[in-house]
Amino acid sequence: MATEHQSADDGADQGNQLPLGPSIAAAAVSAAVLLPVLWLLRVGFGVGFDSAVALLTRPTTLEVFVNSALLVALTTTACVAIGVPLAYLTVRTDLPFRRFWTIAVSLPLVIPSYVGAFAFVSAFGPQGGFQRLLAPLGVERLPEIYGLEGTVLILTLYTYPYVYITARASLKSMDTTLIDAARTLEHDRWETFRRVTVPQIRPAVAAGALLSALYVLADFGTPSIMRYDVFTRVIFVEFGTFGRDTAVLLSLQLVAVTVFILWLESRVRGEERTTAGGRSRALVPLGTWRYPAMVPVAAVAGLALVVPVAILVSWLVATGATANQSLAFEWSYALNSVTVSTAAAAVAVVAGIPVAYLSARHGGRLPDAFERISYIGYAVPGVVLGLALVFFGSAYATPIYQTLYLLVFAYVIRFLPQSVGSLRASFLSVDPSLPEAARTLGQTSAGAFRYVTLPLVAPGLFGGAALVFLTTMKELPATLLLRPSGFTTLVTHIWTAYESGYFGQAAIPALVLLFVSGLSMLVILRQEGYDVK
Amino acid sequence: MHDSDDTGRTRRRFLRAAAAAGVIGVAGCNTPGEGGDGTGTATEEATDTGNGGGTDDPEQIGSGRSPFGDREVGGVTIEEMPDLEGELTVYSGRGEALIGELVGFIEDQYPDFTVRPLYNTAAELVSQIETEGQNSPADVFYSVNAGALGTLAERGRTQTLPQEVLEFVPSNFRDPDGEWIGTSGRARSIPYNTDTFSASDIPEDIMAFPDTDAFEGEIGWTPTYSSFQAFVTAMRILEGEAATREWLNGMQDLGVSTYGDEFQISRAVADGEISVGLANHYYIQRVLARRSNAPLSTAFTRNDAGAIFNVAGACVLDTASDSTLASNFVRHLLSAEAQDYFARSTFEYPLVPAVDPIGRLPPIDELNPPEDLDLSQLADLEETISLLRETGAL
Repeated sequence: MATEHQSADDGADQGNQLPLGPSIAAAAVSAAVLLPVLWLLRVGFGVGFDSAVALLTRPTTLEVFVNSALLVALTTTACVAIGVPLAYLTVRTDLPFRRFWTIAVSLPLVIPSYVGAFAFVSAFGPQGGFQRLLAPLGVERLPEIYGLEGTVLILTLYTYPYVYITARASLKSMDTTLIDAARTLEHDRWETFRRVTVPQIRPAVAAGALLSALYVLADFGTPSIMRYDVFTRVIFVEFGTFGRDTAVLLSLQLVAVTVFILWLESRVRGEERTTAGGRSRALVPLGTWRYPAMVPVAAVAGLALVVPVAILVSWLVATGATANQSLAFEWSYALNSVTVSTAAAAVAVVAGIPVAYLSARHGGRLPDAFERISYIGYAVPGVVLGLALVFFGSAYATPIYQTLYLLVFAYVIRFLPQSVGSLRASFLSVDPSLPEAARTLGQTSAGAFRYVTLPLVAPGLFGGAALVFLTTMKELPATLLLRPSGFTTLVTHIWTAYESGYFGQAAIPALVLLFVSGLSMLVILRQEGYDVK
Repeated sequence: MHDSDDTGRTRRRFLRAAAAAGVIGVAGCNTPGEGGDGTGTATEEATDTGNGGGTDDPEQIGSGRSPFGDREVGGVTIEEMPDLEGELTVYSGRGEALIGELVGFIEDQYPDFTVRPLYNTAAELVSQIETEGQNSPADVFYSVNAGALGTLAERGRTQTLPQEVLEFVPSNFRDPDGEWIGTSGRARSIPYNTDTFSASDIPEDIMAFPDTDAFEGEIGWTPTYSSFQAFVTAMRILEGEAATREWLNGMQDLGVSTYGDEFQISRAVADGEISVGLANHYYIQRVLARRSNAPLSTAFTRNDAGAIFNVAGACVLDTASDSTLASNFVRHLLSAEAQDYFARSTFEYPLVPAVDPIGRLPPIDELNPPEDLDLSQLADLEETISLLRETGAL
C-alpha cells in the first residue's frame, strides 16, 4: 500500500486534498463491501411491499427490537468494563507473565460463542454439571442462566477481546511522557488516567466497543441457546422454514439498526484528533498488588476458556467408547484453518490501510463514508453474506466459486472493520509532524509513510491482523456456504460433531483451536515487538 | 428377508450372529439386568463395536451380512445394483458424522466414482440451491426431512426418479409424484423419565397433553426446531387450526419449557430437569446409547400428529449433469448395506421393509402414525410459523 502514496499530493497531511492513490484504493474496497448489499436489496424488494410492511410492523418486532437494544447496550458496557482494565494491566503495569496473560485473555475470541453458550448451559444450567457437583451440599437448583443475564454474560465473555485488543494496541503506541508530565503537574494517578490516558485511548476503545456491539447484534447461536428473543433468532426461524427472502428482508432491518449504531458511535467518538509520538517508558509498578492483580485476569480467562474446554473434555471422557469414526481428527483441519485465517488477516490489513489512513488523517465526508461503509459486511449475518456471495460467485465468478479465493474474499468483507478500526485508532495517535519532518528531510511521501508512519502504527496493524485472524479461525456460516467440497477447518469440524450430537468429539478440535490460535497469537505479538515496547 | 414383528426373534438372531463373530462375551456381559427391553443393551453394544471396526472386514460385503456390524440383513445389496462411475456433487443436510462413513463406503466399492459432498443444514442448502439457480453445481440433495425435499420439488428444482428406484420403499415414504424418496425414518415420540412416570401415565392422544395435570411444569418442547414445526403442521392439517391454537395455548398454560433442540430435551428428561418432552425417537436412543442406565424411556401416541413418521431422503436436482448416475447413487442409499447403516449409526428406522431397526424400539409396523397424511404437506410451514407466533410459542 505504501506505493500508493507515490502519487499522493504534497498537502496530504494538511487534510485538504485527498491523495489519489489511497482514495482509489479505499473506493475499491468500499465497492467490494457494498456488493453483497446489492443482492440483499434485490431480494428484499422482491418480497413485495405489503408483506414487507406486515412483517416489519407486527407486534413482536417492537419486543425483539427492545430485547436486542438491551442486549447490545449491556454487553458493550460490560465489554468495556472488562477489556480496558485488562489492557491497562497487561500493557502499562508490571503484572507478572504479561505475554502469557495477553494471549490468554485474547483467546476467548476464537471460541465460537454457541460452543461457549452450550458449555455454560451444560455447566450452569438449572440441573447441569455444576449443580450435580454441589448436590451433596444440598444445592438442588442453581439460579436461572437463561434469558437476558445469561446471554449478556456469555456474549461479554466472548466479545470483550475486541475491546481488549484494540485498547491494548492503543496503549502500546501511546506517548507515556504525557503521563509523566501530568504527574509532575501534581495530578494523582487516577486523575492522570482520566485526563491523559482516557482521551488517548478513546478512539481505540470506541472502535473495539463498536465491534463488540455489532457482533452481539448479528450473533445467531448464543441467543437461541440462551432462549433470548432477538433479531437474529427471528431471522434464524425464517431460514429454518425456507423463507430465504423474508430472512433477507429481516437482515436489512438489522443493517438499518447497524447504520444507526454507526451513526451513534461517530457522534460519541467526538473530538479525537489526539496525537502522540511513540515514546513509551516505565511501567506502572503495582507494588504489593503485583501478584493479587493476576487473580481477576485469570478469572476472566479461566471462565471464558476453562468452562467450555472442561465441559467438552468431560463429554469426551464420558463418550469415548462410542467415538464416531467419521469424526476422527486430522491435523490438516488445523492447517486449513491457519491458512485461510492468515490469508484473510493479511488481505484485510492491506485493504484496511487506505480506508483507515484516509479517515484518520484527512477526515471529511468521503473518507468517513469509506470508513463507515467498511462496517456493513460485518453487520450482515454471516449466512446472509454467504448467500450473497453464493449468488455472485455462482453466477458471475464460476471459476472461483467454491474455491478458497472466494472464501477468503468473504472473510475480508466480513471482518474488514476489525482491521480498519484498529488501524484507524493507531493512525490517529501518530503525530502528523513526524512524517512531515521526514518529508522535509527529503523522503517521498511514500517513504515517510513507510519509515515513519508504518512503524508507529505497527501495534494497531498487528492488533487488527490478530482480530481478523482470530475471528476467521472461528467463522462458521460463510465457511459452510462457500468452502470447497471436502475442505474442513477446525470450526466446521467442531460444528459437524456438535450438530450431530457428538459433543464430546468437539473437544479435540476445540483444544487444537485454542492451542493453534495461541501459538499464532505468539507469532503475531512477536512481530509487533520489533517496534514500540 | 425377515419381517420381524417379534423382538425376541431379532434378539435370537443377534445373539447367533454375535456368537459367530466371537463377540458373544461383550453381549453376555451387558445383557443382564436390562432384560425388560428386549433387544436393548445387547444390540446397542453391537452398535458401538460396529462403529468401531466393522468396516475393516471386507469379506462381509455383499454376503447379506452387515458390513458395519454383526447381523444379517435383507434387501438388495450394493453388488446387485448398477455400477457408479464419475463424479457427483452431493449437497447434504445430513451431517458428515452421520453419513460420512456411508458415503466413503459406497465410494470404496467403485474405482472411478467420487463424491464431492457439501455439508450444511438442510435449510441453508435449500437457500443455497435457490440462490445458485441454474448455476448450481449440485447433482443430488440429501435431506434430513421431507419438508426440505418437498420445498425443492414444489419450486421445480427436482427431477422425477426412475420407477425402479421408487419401488424400494412403501408408497407412504416417498413423494406421490416421484420427485423424492425417503431413505430412513424418524418417528415423533414422547421421551419420559421413568422415575417420575410409568408408560401408562403418558396419554395415547397428543391432544390430551394440555389437560394432563401431571405434566404441569414438567414438560419441554422445541418451537424453533424443524421436526417440531412439522409436528405442529401435521396437527393443523389433522385437527384444524382452532384445535391447534388451543393446544399451543394449553401447553403454555402448563408452563412448558423451551429448548433449542430435541437431544437437549432428551438429556433434560434423563437428568430429571423435566419429566416428559416431545422429540424424535432417535434422540432418546442416542442418550441411552451413552447412558444405558438413564431413567429414560420412549412412549408413542396413536394416530395423531404426535405420532407422525417423517423421513430423511434424497432427490435428484434439475441441474444434475448426469441424472442416471445421480439416481443410481440415490438407489445405493436404499441398499441393504445403507439401510442397515442407518439403523446402526443413527438409530433411525430403515425404510426398506427387509431391514429391522436397532435399539429399544418397536418395529416400524407397530407404530401408529396418522393415516392419510401426505408427508410433503408438512413442507407448508408458513401458517404454522404464524400460528406459533400468534400464540406466543415463538
